[in-house]
Amino acid sequence: MLASILASGLAAGAIYALVGVTYNTMFSTSRVMSFTAGQLAMLGGVFGSMFMLKMGMPIIVGFLLTLVGCALIGVITEFVAVRPVLKSLDQHLYVLSTLALALMIQQVAAIEWGTEPQPFPRLIGWGSGIWDEKFWLPVVACAITILGLEYLYRRTLVGRAFLAIAEDNFAARALGLPERNLRVASYALAGIIGGVAGFSGGQLLLAFFANGALLNFYGFVPVALGGLGNNRGAIIGGLALGLFQQAANFLVGGIFSSVAVFTLFIVVLLAAPQGLFGAATARRV
Amino acid sequence: MTAVTSTPARSEAGAWRAMLPQLAPFLGILAVAMILPFVSNDYWALIGTRAAIYWVLVSGLNLVVGFAGHLAIGYVALLTLGAYTTSVLVAGNVMPPVPVFAALPIAGAVGAVFGVIVGLPALRLRTFYFAMSTLGFATIVTQIALAWQSVTGGGIGIVGPEFPAPFNTAWGYYYLCVGFAAFCTWMSANVAHSRFGRALIAVRDAEVAAEATGISKPRMLIAIFLFAGSLAAVAGGLFASLQTYITPDAFTFDLSILFFIAILIGGRGSILGPMLGTIILTILPEIAAPLAAWSTFLYAVLLLVIVLVMPGGIAALLDFRNRRPLASNRAIVPRPTALGGVLQVRAANRTLCLRGLALSFGNVRAIDGLDLDVRPGQIHGLIGPNGSGKTTTLNVISGYYAAKAGTMTLGEDVLPPGMPALRAYSGIARTFQTPRVIGEASVLQNVMIGGTIEGQATFVEALLALPRHRRDEHRLAAKARALLGVVGLEMLADVRADRLQHSELRFIEIARALMLEPDFLLLDEPAAGLSSDEIERLAALIKAISKRGTGVLLVEHHADLIFDICDQVTVLNLGRTLAAGTPAEIRVHKEVVSAYLGA
Amino acid sequence: MLTSAPEPLLAVAALESGYGKIRVLHGIDFAVSPGEVVALLGPNGAGKTTMLRALSGLLPVNAGHVRFGGRDITNATPREAARAGLVHVIEGHRVFTQISVTDNLLLAGYDLPRGERAARVEEALSFFPEIAEKRHERGGALSGGQQQMLTVAQGLVRRPRLLMLDEPSAGLSPVLVDRVLNVVAQLRSQGTAVLLVEQLLEKALAAADRVYALVQGHIVLEAPTSEANLPQRIERAYFGHESHVTASS
Repeated sequence: MLASILASGLAAGAIYALVGVTYNTMFSTSRVMSFTAGQLAMLGGVFGSMFMLKMGMPIIVGFLLTLVGCALIGVITEFVAVRPVLKSLDQHLYVLSTLALALMIQQVAAIEWGTEPQPFPRLIGWGSGIWDEKFWLPVVACAITILGLEYLYRRTLVGRAFLAIAEDNFAARALGLPERNLRVASYALAGIIGGVAGFSGGQLLLAFFANGALLNFYGFVPVALGGLGNNRGAIIGGLALGLFQQAANFLVGGIFSSVAVFTLFIVVLLAAPQGLFGAATARRV
Repeated sequence: MTAVTSTPARSEAGAWRAMLPQLAPFLGILAVAMILPFVSNDYWALIGTRAAIYWVLVSGLNLVVGFAGHLAIGYVALLTLGAYTTSVLVAGNVMPPVPVFAALPIAGAVGAVFGVIVGLPALRLRTFYFAMSTLGFATIVTQIALAWQSVTGGGIGIVGPEFPAPFNTAWGYYYLCVGFAAFCTWMSANVAHSRFGRALIAVRDAEVAAEATGISKPRMLIAIFLFAGSLAAVAGGLFASLQTYITPDAFTFDLSILFFIAILIGGRGSILGPMLGTIILTILPEIAAPLAAWSTFLYAVLLLVIVLVMPGGIAALLDFRNRRPLASNRAIVPRPTALGGVLQVRAANRTLCLRGLALSFGNVRAIDGLDLDVRPGQIHGLIGPNGSGKTTTLNVISGYYAAKAGTMTLGEDVLPPGMPALRAYSGIARTFQTPRVIGEASVLQNVMIGGTIEGQATFVEALLALPRHRRDEHRLAAKARALLGVVGLEMLADVRADRLQHSELRFIEIARALMLEPDFLLLDEPAAGLSSDEIERLAALIKAISKRGTGVLLVEHHADLIFDICDQVTVLNLGRTLAAGTPAEIRVHKEVVSAYLGA
Repeated sequence: MLTSAPEPLLAVAALESGYGKIRVLHGIDFAVSPGEVVALLGPNGAGKTTMLRALSGLLPVNAGHVRFGGRDITNATPREAARAGLVHVIEGHRVFTQISVTDNLLLAGYDLPRGERAARVEEALSFFPEIAEKRHERGGALSGGQQQMLTVAQGLVRRPRLLMLDEPSAGLSPVLVDRVLNVVAQLRSQGTAVLLVEQLLEKALAAADRVYALVQGHIVLEAPTSEANLPQRIERAYFGHESHVTASS
């Protein structure tokens, strides 16, 4: 019992954590919280199932095409929903533009792909029971992604350029960094991370259009808990959320577990609006 | 009571005629609604009823989203709540059955309470976070409806309330819902045109300035949440009756999105726009069958187009008055002598005293032991190099920052640190370094906001347009017009503020600050960006203001202005007083000159 | 005088710029020749920082034009300006605190071919041995003065033809101020032009060949620093009169 809570909790938590990282990656270079984060993860599952099952492609090809597709959606987000509103003074517009785009993605998926959850193929075929692939794959994918990001940010110039833009956009611009290109690149990267989340979680969540809204929320909770832009906080928050949710599921049943999660979320946010590890906001006057 | 100059008294008939262009679209829609039964069939009765019910909810939500600016995406929670509450009360699952016309107000009361619960996080959370929290509430309510089977019937659902004759026919019910919709339109329009509506927009677009005029954000928002929550719950009850049978599935996220998008494509700060938006979005899926499946997609596309191309929405499209070009070479010609007719002479017996003020930001000592006196009827200049602490001092006096040490007193009373919304009640008003004005509101509305706390009507009186509210509005509008005349901008009273030039915005801020007839006026670099003519006129205006007994604290970089009009000058450097005295003394003070030239 | 003077490195004509609706610069004419050090002085709020930002592309130019090295760079992006040789070191010693000193400098050389980057970083560090020895520390671990030196070093990575420094002395101790101004002298001797915005009148006059005074968005004075009575003339331009301070050295 405990083992199964651990297995499913860590797996779900890893997916939520990766969606949180997707949010953070988009936020860090644009200061925009985008509603498309959860939709990107949904597409990871839907594209994967479409390429591998419907179109019969080999796993590697399906995986790469899924990542390409998600990266593309990430770039489209930047062009259509973020760049135009960055210029205006009304900051709240980005909530609306990314919400609109997320809805459009969700509806197209529902209409073209269908409103029933579709199966997602087994990829590697190792393990069963609590060691089943659908439990360990998301965790492994999350770990590999985090390591990859660490490498990017610490060892490559592009990664350090991302950090610079995230810390002080104006100074980065003045220094001559290609801020616009880097922003587009970070949105593509966010797309890839979301795609990895959805693809690795495909067996657990199935290829289902409604995953988008679900993951939008569950992927946001780690960000709220861990502080905006803080990837480590997002990972911890995501895993904690996954475990909490599965434990509640087991103890009080499906419906009340989601009530428990939402209530906890709202209570934590009100107590610590910047997140448990977050930084203070700027001065108003 | 203040005297009102130069505004001609309007007759009742004249006032009605002036309002007709604003009323006409609403009357037109009402007329169409009334004759609908005679030109179409039962199917359209259903659509019309649904649009009316949606508008009952949206008219309240409009004040939360469009006026207060809080993105409550998950408001379907309150629709669900109201629908189930009404149905359960009428069906008698929990207590003896209640007649439907009693159940609706009860649901409204429950909705009011939950409206506050759902909305309160807005006081603490940022935009995106608040939006997410409302989505959380929406899910919680639906899940509870699913789980609480004994009361709500769980997944199976519950029968919706039935209305007695004549409202139990399609058209009978239609007229009932249209009646509700009309009443709600009237109420929300009353709020929009009251000091509460203006205060909401002020908090949305210029929160710092709103605090300086004494507007209390929590109180405003709670009133709005109560109102919007109760309207949404009543709409829920009506919706349940329309559906005849409700299950949790009926309250989809798509419905929540419809309400939300209707307001945004209608345009913020408008009543007519969101009403048209609601009607359009309700009718859209019915026009063609394929559209029904893609309806949410279409709503999303509409939203995206509005955000990118026309953020002002339908309301901006219909705003013909603000398309008229303005004269390009306008001059600002204040009439300082007219000030006497608008402002009373101040009692002039309390001095604003700062003693030993200290404030640090991290390691930097922004203010390091400051003593300052502003006497009534005097102009006190505050100058110094960049980073010397001038604006920070104003911000401490205004209450945006709490000093770590030292005291601020106004006569006998101590000014509580860190409470900016109380300053207006103490008689302190101010302007800002960069004008903080509401671009989407008219110049007149912007100035009227300055007098918000002088209004005496309560929220309910404003809601129902009772006489005390109408007297408030007359008085505020007349005073605002008079003050616009004093600063020389009365010709632009009805123009949207974001069409004005920078220098005009500075004078508008002064007019707004004068609405309270302040004992003390804090001016933060009012001459920045002004031409030399305008600076001369500004100087005459400030002198006239101080002659009426107001004490003026003037922070400035323009040495000429300071030396021209100030009675006393204090020079700050690195947060400390470098020198203090008359302008003549300061001008030749050695250390002052070196501080500016950097020795 | 030669009959035809060579075209200045930087030529600004009738420049107008500001922030949104607020117009700060009202028709500025300005020039910097190759290899000369020009000081831009003025009281607060005069528009000095605005001017540098308009030149490097951080702020939009509403009227007038900017020519650099014979090409029109009005409203070019900061990246394009830097590529052309016009480098802007902004005020406030804003370094990237989460990455190392070396990384800060490598980012300054983002557009350079990879092989050259390391060499240019060493070149920039050679001007500032104090931070060269801290090259692996995080930007946030440096003191304010060291961070200021780092920002100047970032500017030097590009081997600019004209380096614009915005108040490099702000918040620095007198010793460090002299350090930075020594670097300016070094640059001058190797043929790099420098445009120096400064609050410290005496130090600026000592370091510069020519000086402009900017008051309320207008150029009110332009003179070579060799002329007599400059401090009094500048003071008059700032305050509109003369005080009884004798010019001290």
